[in-house]
Amino acid sequence: MDYTFQFSNVIQNLPYLLKGAVLTLEIAFVSFWLGSAIGLAGAMAKLHGGRLLRALVSVYITLFTNTPALVQIFFLFYALPDVGIVLEPMTAVLIGLTLNSGAYLTDILRSGVESVRKAEIETAVTLGMSGLQTVRYVILPHIAKTIYAPLCNFFVWLVLGSSLGAIFGVEELTGRAINISTANLRTIETFSVVAAIYVALTFIASIALGLVGRHLFRAKIKVF
Amino acid sequence: MFDLIISQAPRFFTWYTFVFVLEAMGRTLMMTVIGCSVGAVAGFAITVIRSTTSNWMMLFRLAVTVYVEVFRRIPFLVILFIVMYASQGLGSNISLSAIATVSICLVATAFLSEIIRAGLESVPRQQLEAAQVMNFGFTRTLFMVLLPQSWKVILPPAFAFMVMFIKDTSLASQMGVVELTFTGKVLMNRGYSPFLVYGVILAAYFALSYPLSKFGAYLENRLGSPQRRKSVERVRANSGPEKRELVG
Repeated sequence: MDYTFQFSNVIQNLPYLLKGAVLTLEIAFVSFWLGSAIGLAGAMAKLHGGRLLRALVSVYITLFTNTPALVQIFFLFYALPDVGIVLEPMTAVLIGLTLNSGAYLTDILRSGVESVRKAEIETAVTLGMSGLQTVRYVILPHIAKTIYAPLCNFFVWLVLGSSLGAIFGVEELTGRAINISTANLRTIETFSVVAAIYVALTFIASIALGLVGRHLFRAKIKVF
Repeated sequence: MFDLIISQAPRFFTWYTFVFVLEAMGRTLMMTVIGCSVGAVAGFAITVIRSTTSNWMMLFRLAVTVYVEVFRRIPFLVILFIVMYASQGLGSNISLSAIATVSICLVATAFLSEIIRAGLESVPRQQLEAAQVMNFGFTRTLFMVLLPQSWKVILPPAFAFMVMFIKDTSLASQMGVVELTFTGKVLMNRGYSPFLVYGVILAAYFALSYPLSKFGAYLENRLGSPQRRKSVERVRANSGPEKRELVG
């Protein structure tokens, strides 16, 4: 029952861990933006596409939101070599997270576009706005305000979700924690410090995104 | 390219594999359901503590708030590692699947308490004031005014959270808990092609998650008040292809 905590080794390795935190943010950032591109295309296809396109997007969303990201990346990493496609761990993780976030972001973006009411667009037409003006002054502000909060939550979710890269040997925050803890055998201390870094990281991200959202889109963001 | 897969398929798709995967599905589902049920009860307790106003509860309120904020911001994988090593460091000898279930409880408590809190806050304030005027106590207000009105709002997202967590339990395979993903590893160690194995595992997760998420959507539709359903329909009706003509 008696266990002495020793944080000294972990503190020494703090710069190493923080570099991993930067990589974590990079993974989340890249897969967020690539996922947004997929999500935008998916949302447009779902709202304006033909029947076949809509069905395809629906299948994509159902498949990816109903299976774990971990197993999807397992599939990319271990199963694709069977058919001749060999991926680096980092590439596999990025592709997996991007496809996964694309599926969720399609839903978020679609609900944002759907929230614009017909009456608002009719009003814009009545006021004599051109198509571009309608998009710039009526549709975009409305969509931005609606989807900003879910997008922030999703980004935080991605920061946390990128920790599964550790399983494939990507050296982000959790991966580096595993590296350190196997060397110094101070697992509880290492992982508590890493947990604290994750909390700090997501707090900073939430607060910064919340301030930006309040300033730019007048979106009401709850940090707590 | 696909020769290996085709040659292995008859050996792979046997009754034995089917039962093996089915058992693992049961275990995955069990861990999630137990974890989320405990989490729902504990989360409710946390919400009750957070909604108190007396001074002497201040410390509890603070502790509980910090708990919720912290556990929603740590990756499940890291929580799993901490719980596992902490239980080993304390010298306890509980099984790995128990450790995974405890981790699920910890996370589910934090998330579900937020869902429950949002649900309770969705009750109009006038209801609370009316309860106060009628001299209802704290417990009576909670169980006779707040809960009967808010459980319909709480249940769908709570259910959706549980369905989401079925997928997150796959991370527990990394500690050696024998659930669905770990079963995939076992099958792969038997020499089957990963293409087959992970294909089947993905299908198994889908078979678990898809009906439940459909049921969740049904629940949401069914429990929503007619007014809310109408507003959802209005939103749906106003969007869609016909809008394009107006924009362009």
